[in-house]
Amino acid sequence: MIEALQFSFIQHALIAGILVSLAAGIIGSLIVVNRMVFLAGGIAHTSYGGIGLAIFFGLPIFLGASLFAIGAALLIAALTLKKRHRMDTFIGLIWAVGMAIGVIFVDLTPGYNVDLMSYLFGSILAVSTQDLYFMSALLIVILFVVVFWYRDILAVSYDSEYAQLRGINVRFFYTLILILSALTVVIAIKVVGLILVIAMLTIPVYIAEKLSHSLFSMMFLSGLIATFFTLMGLWFSYTYNLTSGASIILVSAASLGIFLLLYRGK
Amino acid sequence: MNRSVIEIENLSFAYEDQPVLEKVNLAVEEKDFLAIIGPNGGGKSTLLKLILGLLPIQQGSIKVLGEPPKKSLDKIGYVPQNTNINTDFPIKVIEVVLIGHVGSKRPLFGYSKDEIACAMGALAQVGMEQFAHGKIGSLSGGQRQRVMIARALCAHPRILILDEPTASIDVKGQKEIYDLLKVLNEHITVIVVSHDISVILEYANKVAHVNKQLSFHDISDKKSIFHTHGNNEHFCEIELLQMLGAENCNTCDHESNAVWRESK
Repeated sequence: MIEALQFSFIQHALIAGILVSLAAGIIGSLIVVNRMVFLAGGIAHTSYGGIGLAIFFGLPIFLGASLFAIGAALLIAALTLKKRHRMDTFIGLIWAVGMAIGVIFVDLTPGYNVDLMSYLFGSILAVSTQDLYFMSALLIVILFVVVFWYRDILAVSYDSEYAQLRGINVRFFYTLILILSALTVVIAIKVVGLILVIAMLTIPVYIAEKLSHSLFSMMFLSGLIATFFTLMGLWFSYTYNLTSGASIILVSAASLGIFLLLYRGK
Repeated sequence: MNRSVIEIENLSFAYEDQPVLEKVNLAVEEKDFLAIIGPNGGGKSTLLKLILGLLPIQQGSIKVLGEPPKKSLDKIGYVPQNTNINTDFPIKVIEVVLIGHVGSKRPLFGYSKDEIACAMGALAQVGMEQFAHGKIGSLSGGQRQRVMIARALCAHPRILILDEPTASIDVKGQKEIYDLLKVLNEHITVIVVSHDISVILEYANKVAHVNKQLSFHDISDKKSIFHTHGNNEHFCEIELLQMLGAENCNTCDHESNAVWRESK
């Protein structure tokens, strides 16, 4: 493993893994406490539509996927605030339509034979320097938002009705959380792929939740745990020549199993 | 003469085509302990949401301390119905109370020392200060309800509104909550929505029965007339119903009184 560190693509993979894990830990915490896991899953799959469009129009993949995911997040936010009880139907619909758009636009792109698998299951070994800038920028934005608006986000997440009574703009923060989730999902696609991204956003969070007394410590701990799982998964992937995204998820799931056994024993 | 803190005139409300409240009138005076009773779906929670400004007013008017509901939010402390939601949420007791602070005059990051001191004071008022740094999920239902009351007190409200405050609490815990409310009532107006008629009427001085229409009873002078049973000091429920439904009840509006008897 040590000799592998001299390759720049391995260095990029490690840095990307850490950046994405920290973002996923923080945003995953918000997604879990707000019961938005299914929403995040919907956004993740919908963003494939943006990937397809970006390929067709020759735009950067991150840009296309981000804009499309933000669009999906805004749509879901608007629908949730109006027709909460029909959310599952709408998310399912947006989910499928987004992916279909992606597949059709990739079909329409002349002479381009896209590797769908790399988006579904991640391609962490193909992270460019530009990708790293994008990931770092997003992590900084997330940190800024979470630190600056911590008490509002906490109030909205814990008890949105009460937060509204205290004059907090619940719609704004709800939408903000969804947009940050969308962007986090987009960068996590590079590491674990859009099918596996939900596991990355939930498993570390679930463990951290059991060990935390506050939302802040939960976000911090989730970030650390996610980073640990990502690095472990990458090591497995490298050592046994396995797909990196799937390795990360299975390491996470196995660790969760062990954690729950030990935790129950207490 | 006490002045009114809440004045409701000719208030009607409907969800789509379903009328929930019809021509409701109510005046709550300072330091009243008002019990709002009535059947499920009778409009109790809707009435509360209108007073709190969570629902838009369709017809009629509500004045809270002389202002429309949304403008007097910081004067009302609210304890919602279900405080058992989100018990897995990783949040400390003190943080829950701090949510009660109103948005203005806040520091750039986190919470100011004044806010924390104020929240600790509110916790002390409800006897929960030793749990300040515990996780909210580790408390019992009754303890959690006290924390929610502390959260409502955090903004120094003049009116405290509680929706079914004892729905999920054991009998001992219920009495403790009501005793606490009685102490708080020395300084602020208390409004409680409850199913638990016999208990609440020992503490309340006014009763509003809501079932689309509202009938109002001043029971402050009647409490002494009725004898209580055993050590529990409960009112006999039959006597209560007689009292609230009696035709010669001179504090009742006769028209709405008839509705009350029909609805039973």
